[in-house]
Amino acid sequence: MKAFTFKPDGTVYAQLSRDEALLLQNLTAQVCGLLREGSATDPAIVRLLPDAYPNDHEASAEFRRFTASGLVDRKLSNAETVLTSLSSSMDSGELHLDGTESQAWLRCLTDIRLTLASRLGIETDDQEPSSDFVLQELYNWLGFLQNSLVEAVSENITAESNNSSGPGDE
Amino acid sequence: MSDTLEQTRTHVQSALDAPWVTIVLNDPVNLMSYVSYVFRTYFGHPPAEAERLMLQVHLTGRAVLATGTREEMERHVEAMHDFGLWATMGKADA
Repeated sequence: MKAFTFKPDGTVYAQLSRDEALLLQNLTAQVCGLLREGSATDPAIVRLLPDAYPNDHEASAEFRRFTASGLVDRKLSNAETVLTSLSSSMDSGELHLDGTESQAWLRCLTDIRLTLASRLGIETDDQEPSSDFVLQELYNWLGFLQNSLVEAVSENITAESNNSSGPGDE
Repeated sequence: MSDTLEQTRTHVQSALDAPWVTIVLNDPVNLMSYVSYVFRTYFGHPPAEAERLMLQVHLTGRAVLATGTREEMERHVEAMHDFGLWATMGKADA
């Protein structure tokens, strides 16, 4: 896997081996399973759907009642987009993402990394790497992948704001 | 009539209430580049301001990203949770 690169047509591109694509498929599917069936007390779920009101249990519960199913649906939809683009990259080894797909990838990679970090017990900025070497390496690789995607799409918004005079509202 | 009065009273009270804030908290997972990117694209901050707020989160543990009504802040918090950022809300004077 090399870093994502930004292309002038507004898409981003990366080379992805079959093994890497299969690994990402597997991780994405696992996060989907967790979102669909995970216990509300699972630390990974708690981090994916955090309390909105830190000192108000009741208000947090109400916020969750109104937002959780929408959040989960959107996270699953992002994962679905990732799985589809991985499938279509499988033969060529080339992953091409348009703007919408890139947004789904950014969010889904975050959800995967948050879940993995929860399993690795990563809780502070400066703690020692996990003794689980394989998972720690995987976590580092996902960080590299996401950072390169952020940099590629950041080039994209810079190019867009140079090309248009309007305000950059989302 | 009393319903209307009650609605007016509630409306006036919420207008006079202290505003609410959206707070983004530091976490050890989200990349600095990603947090800046979210502040830039979602809140519409220029790159330098997005970077300053990201560093504030990273170095002090938290930053206020928005101020307004409770409903507006709930929308922002939900959007931050979409991005996977750790966001909460509270009263501005708390």
